[in-house]
Amino acid sequence: MTSPVIHDASTLPSNDNVNPYAFSVDLKGQWFLQKGKMIAYYGQINFHGIGHGPLDRLIAGSFHSPLHAADWVVAEGQGKMLLADRSFDVNSYDLEDGNLTVRSGNLLAFEPTLSLKQSIIPGFLTLIGTGKFVAASNGPVVFVEPPIRVDPQALVGWADCPSPCHHYDHQYMRGVMGGVRRLTGLGGASGEEHQFEFVGAGTVLLQSTEQLMDEIATGDGPPPEAGVPPHASHGNQPMTPRLPGQLGDLQRRFGL
Amino acid sequence: MAQFRLQGSKVLAVDMNGDAVKAKNGSMVAYEGDMTFKKLTGGGDGLRGMVTRRLTGEQMEVMEVKGHGTCYFADRASEINLVTLSGETLYVEASNLLCTDSSLRTGTTFTGLRGASQGNGLFTTTVEGTGQAAILSDGSAIVLRVTPQLPLQVDPGAYIAHTGRLKQHFQSGVNFRTFIGEGSGEAFQIRFEGDGLVYVQPSERNTIGGDI
Amino acid sequence: MPFRLLNSRMVEAQVVPGQRLFSQRGAMLAYKGDVSFTPSITGGQGGVMGMIGRRIANEATPLMTVEGNGTVMFGHGGHHVHVIELSGDTLYVEADRLLAFDGTLQQGTMFMGSQGGVMGMVRGQVTGQGLFTTTLKGHGAVAVMAHGGFIELPITPQRPVVVDPQAYVAHRGDVRNKLTAALGWREVVGRGSGEAFRLELSGTGTVYVQASEEKL
Repeated sequence: MTSPVIHDASTLPSNDNVNPYAFSVDLKGQWFLQKGKMIAYYGQINFHGIGHGPLDRLIAGSFHSPLHAADWVVAEGQGKMLLADRSFDVNSYDLEDGNLTVRSGNLLAFEPTLSLKQSIIPGFLTLIGTGKFVAASNGPVVFVEPPIRVDPQALVGWADCPSPCHHYDHQYMRGVMGGVRRLTGLGGASGEEHQFEFVGAGTVLLQSTEQLMDEIATGDGPPPEAGVPPHASHGNQPMTPRLPGQLGDLQRRFGL
Repeated sequence: MAQFRLQGSKVLAVDMNGDAVKAKNGSMVAYEGDMTFKKLTGGGDGLRGMVTRRLTGEQMEVMEVKGHGTCYFADRASEINLVTLSGETLYVEASNLLCTDSSLRTGTTFTGLRGASQGNGLFTTTVEGTGQAAILSDGSAIVLRVTPQLPLQVDPGAYIAHTGRLKQHFQSGVNFRTFIGEGSGEAFQIRFEGDGLVYVQPSERNTIGGDI
Repeated sequence: MPFRLLNSRMVEAQVVPGQRLFSQRGAMLAYKGDVSFTPSITGGQGGVMGMIGRRIANEATPLMTVEGNGTVMFGHGGHHVHVIELSGDTLYVEADRLLAFDGTLQQGTMFMGSQGGVMGMVRGQVTGQGLFTTTLKGHGAVAVMAHGGFIELPITPQRPVVVDPQAYVAHRGDVRNKLTAALGWREVVGRGSGEAFRLELSGTGTVYVQASEEKL
């Protein structure tokens, strides 16, 4: 029998994974954290709410999603800090003068050298700059390159490539079954007939399941304005026109 | 003595040769050979243990498995961690205890406020003696050492077990003044001081405490 | 061999012209190339009779046909995925465990009662999946899902294996199954309501058991 690895403050990895589900931050200064994701820490670390007190300048420089503020804290101090999220897979990503857009519920933490903004796609956040961030996914993340079409629910994020567009599979609508579906409304609303299509150069991040993690509200976004796409109050459902006969989640659940 | 081994990270295989183990009720998924299963009341401590348990509300439904062959245990796809005890005491939440060698004694101890914050009652299960135990965690557990120089802060929802001589107390180290009234106001941590090991899981049960 | 595991919960399949795959509806995560997905009530084989059979058997997990030229990634519900290779033998598996499989495999449904006598009939009720189990036969690969992954236990004439019906995933080989209600068994297999059953598998083959008593 192999005995389990015992960690302490000095043997915990420095800004790396402890196991697939936990990430160890070597804190020397500040990190932004989503609330509820710190499971343990060694050292002298203080946690500050956002939008308060001495950190105003930092927040002005890195945090551009005002309606999120209540979900985030700033960890400040020296020590090792373990992050995890409901035993979902956790990964860190390094950006070098780049940008990456990630589903808001999946983002756990980021270095203040990055700046956080709300994506134009509802339910997603964009990180810009140079630095490290930590994100969770339901199952390990798989990196793929465009051109590719993905089930919207399996999408974790994308880097460097243009934002996706909707793709509808007409093959799926055609033929006998398509007809039956049109007439009776039976038949699905699953990823097989509607996908996000990515083109151009970049990287797309997929999780291993079409089951989303709980969403963290991205806030209400900007007020309605001509030329600005509406922002879903729950970033969960992509804003897709509903096909005739679709019952949304219900159909999916019953496998129709 | 029964031999504990992990088959993958989520299935515990116990090879038995006429000896016995205590396991969480309902956790058997398969077996080969001849086995008998017997329900134990009150965690196997007899009448006294049962009464204590009634009082403490630390409910551990346990069965005794005895026989020749291999028995496989699993619980809702939780990760399983083996702990080898040589005389010391393991403190573990009852719901996180999967299986113990029958040579180990199980009991209940008062843990103070931590239990209250987790809604797990004020009492924790103790396992002591020499032998192997298997504990459950949501995601693979991380074992963290505490020394007098290096105390450790843990989210109450991520704590699953500890061994050694540790003092624990609550601390509210979080500055959330801005958000009083938003329901996410205060966050608590448990601070462990002394000498020992703390097992944490990469997941948090719902607590009224850990909001960081 | 069309399936490649990308990680513990995701499998990639190569689709080439003239060779189709079947997969569970809703399990496609992403694809590259020119691939089409067609819902199929019958699972593509068996015609109307097969379809009715399935309806009665309550094995109505909807399948779709995957055809074309490209790469498809499958995953479902965060469940662990295993690839089982068949070389002429038969796999017995409950339909909702199937993530995807080779179109060349011969599908059927088996009345579990025909093997295990009266108690065998009950097995389906216990596991909540009807009295019928899907069979896949031939040469090809099957991607099967399990909650928390599964372990393989060999069955030999000297060593029958007893399984919690809730944790049973699939089996293959020349195996007889026997389901019995045992006194006091409730405490052993736990969960759920109603009678507690034990599933005994004997003969020569392999049984796949998942690390959880929860059905998919």
